[in-house]
Amino acid sequence: MTLGGYISAAGHAGLLLWLLLGWGLDSEPMDFEVTEVTAVSGAEYAALVARTSPDVAEAPTEAPEPPPAEEVAPETPTPEAAPEQVPSEPEPAPEPPPEEATPAPEPSPPAEAPPPEPAQAESTPPPEPPPAPPPSAELTASVRPIPRPAPRVAPEAAPPPPPEAEVAPVPEEAEEPAPVPQAEPVEEPVEEAAPEEAATEIVTEAEEPSGAVEVASRPRSRPSRQEPQAEPEEEEVAEEEPAEEETEVAAAEPEDEPAEEPTDSPDGEEEAETTLADDAERDTAASEEPADDVADDVAAALAAAAASEAAEGEAAAADPGPPMTGAERDAFRVSVQQCWVVDPGSQAGRVTVTVVFELGRDARVAGDVRLLTHNAESAEAANSAYEAARRAILRCQGQEGFPLPPEKYEQWRLVEMEFNPEGISMQ
Amino acid sequence: MTRIILALWAALAAALAIAHPVHAQEPLRISITEGVIEPIPFAIPAFTVETGGAETLARDIASVVSADLAGTGLFREIPSSAFINQNVAFGNAPTYTDWTAINAQALITGAVAVQGDQLIVKFRLYDVFSGAELGEGLQFAGTAAGWRRMGHKVADAVYSRITGEGGYFDSRVVFVSESGPKDARAKRLGVMDYDGAGVQYLTESGLMFAPRFSPDGSRVLYTSYEQGEPAIYLLDVASVSHQRIPTEAGEMAFSPRFSPDGRRVIYSLSNGGNTDIYMTDLSGSSTRLTSAPSIETAPSFSPDGSQIVFESDRSGTQQLYIMSAGGGEPVRISFDEGARYSTPVWSPRGDLIAFTKQGDGRFHIGVMRTDGSEERLLTSSELDEGPTWAPNGRVLMFTRSTLGASGAPSVYSVDVSGRNLKQVPTGGMASDPSWGPLQP
Repeated sequence: MTLGGYISAAGHAGLLLWLLLGWGLDSEPMDFEVTEVTAVSGAEYAALVARTSPDVAEAPTEAPEPPPAEEVAPETPTPEAAPEQVPSEPEPAPEPPPEEATPAPEPSPPAEAPPPEPAQAESTPPPEPPPAPPPSAELTASVRPIPRPAPRVAPEAAPPPPPEAEVAPVPEEAEEPAPVPQAEPVEEPVEEAAPEEAATEIVTEAEEPSGAVEVASRPRSRPSRQEPQAEPEEEEVAEEEPAEEETEVAAAEPEDEPAEEPTDSPDGEEEAETTLADDAERDTAASEEPADDVADDVAAALAAAAASEAAEGEAAAADPGPPMTGAERDAFRVSVQQCWVVDPGSQAGRVTVTVVFELGRDARVAGDVRLLTHNAESAEAANSAYEAARRAILRCQGQEGFPLPPEKYEQWRLVEMEFNPEGISMQ
Repeated sequence: MTRIILALWAALAAALAIAHPVHAQEPLRISITEGVIEPIPFAIPAFTVETGGAETLARDIASVVSADLAGTGLFREIPSSAFINQNVAFGNAPTYTDWTAINAQALITGAVAVQGDQLIVKFRLYDVFSGAELGEGLQFAGTAAGWRRMGHKVADAVYSRITGEGGYFDSRVVFVSESGPKDARAKRLGVMDYDGAGVQYLTESGLMFAPRFSPDGSRVLYTSYEQGEPAIYLLDVASVSHQRIPTEAGEMAFSPRFSPDGRRVIYSLSNGGNTDIYMTDLSGSSTRLTSAPSIETAPSFSPDGSQIVFESDRSGTQQLYIMSAGGGEPVRISFDEGARYSTPVWSPRGDLIAFTKQGDGRFHIGVMRTDGSEERLLTSSELDEGPTWAPNGRVLMFTRSTLGASGAPSVYSVDVSGRNLKQVPTGGMASDPSWGPLQP
């Protein structure tokens, strides 16, 4: 026991001594926890409220930062807080963008730099104006850039207004921009509300249109033609005016294969552009040439034109022109068949006749419709079938003639038309 | 020599070049395989009245013409209210643009004159879109009492010129007119225009059925129980006199039909429980055409008189067969074992055979090719039976009966295409129609 007692006493004594001395157990955790937690949440919360909902998303980034703690102390100087935050926070990425965003909504980006400052200055004076206007503006703006955060923002933004009464001082500072709209406001409102919107919108909108909406057809074509670098200007122009090009391409695409279209369309554009450029060069060159040269050129051109016209005239007489397309033939066929009255119960209704007729340039029958062949067993049936075919042709040519392409007159001047009722049901 | 050959070759080449220019253009060839099935619109302005007192007749005759054409389902009358020119003089060429504007494809103009008891009707038919007269003008003369026939004649001519087929409007139909309750129905033979107008009765009331017109329409064969057992009688339409076709005692004759030349009659004769087909020349002698133990009946000649189609149950069910007019081994042409075929009638065109078909509790009037192919059922009801062909083989008339205690028979007509099914207004119960020929 004694030994145990000694040991126990020594142990206890040692423990007491160690406790009394307090080795390294002083105050590390205490200070750390209390102060930071309370200070950070309150300041940021106020600031967030002032900034309105959209800032909320950014708030989290700011919260961890120390500055808010400092701001909490200087609660009274609302104006100062704003400026201090700005300078102190310039580093944090989140804040600057929103501020810059204000100018962004406006057309020119360079203006962004200057506007933020004045805006803040101006924003400070009009602290009173209720947050109503700014939030609305920001909300609308926020909606455009990022619809995703909206759900988060909405719930948080809603609460802010009520607490404002308590945190009034701090938030008001941030809200200042909102009131701005009244007096000099033009710029102010833009500052807070616009900044964020503009910042996000400018970037996103510029990208979205090209990416989201038109990506389907365009993107593929662009990448496919990487080689044509020699035409930088043209390409740039084309890119600047995507809508027109796209529409043109879209109109031309239907018949062509998708993969080839992109390459083809650019080529076409290039050719068109080159020809236009050449023409321009020629014009400029011609303008520089002496008058005599111009006259000679004109005379030569006229002579060439006259010669070509004569040649074309001769060629036209001999050349039947381009062939009829399937659509053109179908249109002609449909225009006749809709007037072909078939009586499936009659003997003529089972007779196939072929007639031939000539059309004038007005696409109307010139002369009469003649019976070429038939497979009727009786002359009466053949004649009846022929008359039905003839009536169909004469009736449906109308006053304006059949829908035939005038430029292909030689292709349809003489028509041989078969009327075959085999496919027409009896019942 | 070589030079001569070269010269000849050159000349030949030149000749070919002249005969066949290098750029001779081939015609544009189009094949039309689809059309429209719709009535042809026609306009028929009021007929010109050439003599006093013909106003009513002119209007009525034009109405008959219009009704005949529109009744076929192949033509559609354009109402006069749509006419641009209401007064069209019969002798003047029409202004075609007035009619093309209202989409009239055919224009019928006419004139009526009455001279004493004589009625004169003239008409012209114009193909509006061709801008020309279709055929030449025609004139019919008759008695004022026959004004309806005059109208039918005009309609037949118009129909024939446009369709290329013979008409059937100026024809008559013999039928059985019925009256009284179903359990005591009185029947008599009647004759009417194809459209049900002008009904006249040929016999007194009795128990008779299945009348058949002779090819010239002057006589009628029918079956009657006048003497207690079914027998065939021959009736002269003009005198309304009738006589019995002689048969042996104990024989029952029925289902008679004239040969195309009108000199022979084929009929069914039941003797000793067996029914076969016989033919007689109306002189008293008969020839047996079938001799099977089964029931053969309802014979009908082909238009050329060389073949006979009839029904027989020799296969176990009623089916259709064709055999030579002189008898011989028949050829079966219907093969639906689940149905019963009866009352076959050969088309005047010779291409189709109409029949009655019973199956699945329904009755149908149908047609098929003479080889049994392309069977098409045109009607369907509780009881359709006894088809008869129009003179041009385009329309069928038949009996449609309703069942039950209050059931009654009616005469219907249908286009061979299956369209234009309609009841013929007979003015009462009617059955067993038999279409006569076009009247001279």
